[in-house]
Amino acid sequence: MFEIEFADDGSIRCTGRLDAAQCEKAQSFMDKVDDARTLDFAALEYISSAGLGVLLKTQKRLAASGAGLKIINANNHIRDVFRYSGFNAIFDIES
Amino acid sequence: MQKTFARSYDSLKEIYDFTEALLDSAEVAQSVRYPVHFAMEELFTNMVKYNPENTQDISLDVATDSSSVTVTMIDHDVDAFDVSRERPVDTESPLEKRPVGGLGLHLIRHMVDTLNYQYSDRQSRITFTKGLT
Repeated sequence: MFEIEFADDGSIRCTGRLDAAQCEKAQSFMDKVDDARTLDFAALEYISSAGLGVLLKTQKRLAASGAGLKIINANNHIRDVFRYSGFNAIFDIES
Repeated sequence: MQKTFARSYDSLKEIYDFTEALLDSAEVAQSVRYPVHFAMEELFTNMVKYNPENTQDISLDVATDSSSVTVTMIDHDVDAFDVSRERPVDTESPLEKRPVGGLGLHLIRHMVDTLNYQYSDRQSRITFTKGLT
């Protein structure tokens, strides 16, 4: 199960498991984002490399207009995935 | 316990449920489960992605003992591709130069304790282990 939606405060709330089978859904949502946003991972249990690809593709597109994604409330496993990928240097990750 | 899965991303939920039930019954800690599920997904999706025309199912075996989880994945009628061989991965370039994709095997190496590849008779056998502590 994976859900992605805008929260009342304008942040993007991700819930569940972002695996390769859910990337099309995630990418379809993120393709409509055209300004700086916070991604709230409080309820995101899991992300695979396919999910990282969705985030990286979006970050590249937003960077062209000077915007970007900020990630908050990621669990320790997801933080490890970001660190091993070097994504902690290209995303704003709130500790 | 062994089971076969259709060569499709749609199998990922079934693989997760199958593995999770085994890890539950063995009372494997949550901290160990993430890397196990992660490595399984990356290896399985590689098999799907690089041999889409292959109609054969992919075999999966998950076993636990007092010290580790061992996962064996078998793919039939495929060319050899040694997933245990280290390949250069770009994790330091600035955003504009960072390629999308290609991180899966690199990440697996950080997460599991052993990763072994065997190939014979057009059959790939990948085994990885993850310690319980």
